This record gives sequence, C-alpha cells and structure tokens, in this order.
Amino acid sequence: MFALRRWWDRYGIQATLTSVAIGTALLIRQTHGGVVLETYQWLTRPFLSKPAPPAQSSNPEMLELQERLIELESKNQRLEELLGFAQSAKAKGITAPVIGRSADHWWQQVSLGRGAQDGVETGSVVRSPGGVVGRVTSVTARTSRVLLLSDPTSRVGVMISRSRAMGSMRGNLGNRAVIEFYEKNPDVRRGDVVTTSSLSGRFPSGLPVGRIESVDTAKSPAPEAVIELSAPISALEWAIVYPKLPGETESLPAPAPSDVPAFSPTPEESSTPSPTAP
Amino acid sequence: MSQALDHFIEQYPASRPFINWGVTAGSVFLCLLILPARLPGMELAGISPNWLLIWVVAWSVKRTLWQGAIAGLVLGLLQDAMTAPFPTHAISLAIVGAITARLQKQRYVQEDFISVALIVFGMAVVAETITAIQFSFEGGRSLLEIWTYHQFVALSSAILSSLWAPVVYFPLNRWWESMGQSDSI
Repeated sequence: MFALRRWWDRYGIQATLTSVAIGTALLIRQTHGGVVLETYQWLTRPFLSKPAPPAQSSNPEMLELQERLIELESKNQRLEELLGFAQSAKAKGITAPVIGRSADHWWQQVSLGRGAQDGVETGSVVRSPGGVVGRVTSVTARTSRVLLLSDPTSRVGVMISRSRAMGSMRGNLGNRAVIEFYEKNPDVRRGDVVTTSSLSGRFPSGLPVGRIESVDTAKSPAPEAVIELSAPISALEWAIVYPKLPGETESLPAPAPSDVPAFSPTPEESSTPSPTAP
Repeated sequence: MSQALDHFIEQYPASRPFINWGVTAGSVFLCLLILPARLPGMELAGISPNWLLIWVVAWSVKRTLWQGAIAGLVLGLLQDAMTAPFPTHAISLAIVGAITARLQKQRYVQEDFISVALIVFGMAVVAETITAIQFSFEGGRSLLEIWTYHQFVALSSAILSSLWAPVVYFPLNRWWESMGQSDSI
C-alpha cells in the first residue's frame, strides 16, 4: 500500500496525463477524426472558390454528339421500361467542394466539404465531370471522406463497353488503374471505353470510368490492362455526390441467380456420357 | 505577448502545467489540421510533409525512450483517425519516437536545426519502410507495387519533411525550454 502511494506520488501526474492523451487519441480515432475535419472545414470555408460553371461548348460537333447522346439515352430508357427493369427516378447529385487530400502518403483519399447534414451517406458514389471518382467511406456532419478509384484497395467491377468483356479494376496510384479480366482472351484494345459493370456491388452500372491505355494479354494468371481514369483525380476541385437509391441494393444481386440456370445444363451434359461409357 | 504570459505564470504558478500542456496539445492539433491541406510549396508530386512525424521527432529529441514511444503511439492513433485504421500508423511513429530518444543519449548529434533535419530525413524513411512492411503483411496490394511505391514515397516524404522540420521544431523547442524540462514529462 505504501509502495503504491509512493509510486502514485512520483508518477501519478505522468500516468494520468499519458492515459488522458491515449484516451483522447482513441476517441478521435473511433470518431474518424470528426472533430478535426469539422474544424478544418470551418477554417477552409472562406478560401473555397465558387464552383466553375459547366463549360459551354461552342464546338458544333460536340453539340451534335451531346444531342445524339440524349436521344440515345432516352431511347434506351424507353426500351428498359418496356422490358420492365427501368431504374426509378435518377437521384439528384450534391455538389461538394474538395477541401483536403489524404492525410498520409499511402491512402488515396479526399475530403469533401459536404456531410450528413446535406444528405451524403456512407457508400454514396462520387463523380466529377469526366467520370466516377470514388466512394464515400465515412461521414461527419459537414464533411465526408472519399476513397478514390486510384487507391489500390478500391476494387470495382468494370466492363469494356464495346465488347462487354468484364473484369475487376484496382487502383494503381496517380491517374491509373489496372483491370484483371475474367476471361483468358478478352476482346480489348487500346482506346476502348471502360464503364462500371452490373456485377459491381458498390457502383451503379454503366458509369464511365476511363479508357484503355495498354493491354498485357500474356500476364498470368489473368490478362491485364492499364486504364487511364477519365476523371481528373489528381486535380479535383469539385465533385458530385450521388446518395444510393433505395432500390439499388436489391436490384444488384439479381443478375447472379439468372446466370445459374445458364450453367446448370453443363453438369447434366457431363453426366450423360458416363452411362454410355460402360 | 510572451512577457504577458510570463507575468501571468508568475502570478499564478499553479496554471503553469496547464498552459504547458495546452500549448503542446494545441501544436498537435495544428499539425493535424495541416495534414489534409496541400499548400503551394509544401507539395512534391502530391506528397506533403509528414507533420506528425516532425512533431514526434521534435518531442523525442530531448526526452526518454518511453516518452518518445508514447508520444508516437498517441500521434499514430490520431493519424489513423485522419486516414484509415489499418494498418495502424501508431507502430511506425512509436518506433520513430523511441529511436529518436535513443539517438540523443548517445550524443551522436548536436542539437541544432541541421541535425534535427537529418534525424527527420532518416526517420521519415524508417516510418515509410515500417508502413510498407505492414502493407506487405496485410495483403490486398501486390508486393511489387508496394515496394516500388515505397521508394518514391520514402524519398519525397523524407526530403519534404526534413525541409519543413525547423518550422515545427523551433517554436516547440523554444516553448519547452522556456517552460523548463524538469516539470514537463
């Protein structure tokens, strides 16, 4: 008892301060740095620039292409409605300023200046003019943190829009990403447009991601291709956050069961020759 | 300003540890706030100085091994909060704090801003290497990618951090000296 008392007299203050410091750090860690990010957002608010107005293209060729795109999109939607799997009304995006980049050198993240108060949720898809940027991983009241597509841990199911060859994409730092194809001999060449596929559980299908830069079909175990992301990820100033649609999570696993009957005849076929063998 | 503060501390000696700890915690908070920012001149190919590492080195240079390691642990947990909790930054910063505290005992380095910059340079490489080892064990990223990226990140981070080290080290060192080493742990 006396020894304990003497220890406390000598080290009591140090021990208390140390535990307070570690406790505070753990608390901040549990809240994903909410306090720090909120303060940061409050401090940087006066320095934010106004969102740039959408560039008015004066190029007549561009205007024609845009009109054709609108025409094709509406036709596509009509056809989907006829087939009976029309998506519900499109979600309205939340324009958010990029207030900070990653706080260390290994993660490719950005912080946005909009949070739960503005309707941003964990898992929301973040886009910018040009294509998909990433996905919201944590939200505070007025800020949110986005894991970029260029981060090696972010994996997305993608598809070559010309040949419908599918693969999974992982980030490769900077403005690049690598696709591993599911098939041994995918139909892919330089310049092909890459979009998110319907097998991607985290992103809605059909969003533009980037273009194929180089293809390595000899790569083992699966052929790989390097793509250049079309969104200006390293110079991002504004992004648009699309909260998840309520029906989206239900509609996504749907393709998987429909594939199962397509493969089921194969075991039957393989079993039929066996009775003929003897 | 400093005279007014000295006067205040003389009048109320009991407030001294509180002011000391307030300033120390405030400096950590400032380092945390500057982490996500990429100010012009502080950036090299998208990489900014590792402010928390500079703080840990500044703290540990004149302290014991355990004080350095615990400061590294606390700041590492704080950096986890700002990025992602796995792999944790606490291990690399705690080791950096411990090594820095050991260096001072062997009297290899004089205390001036060039040697602090040198220590920060070395420690930045150590910290990035430990992080790269953690990523290698965790899986998910390919080893080739991790170690190619490690070369780039260790060098850029070491150069930038050592250049900006005096900005953190000088004011903090002055403050801790004025407060006296004896009553701060």
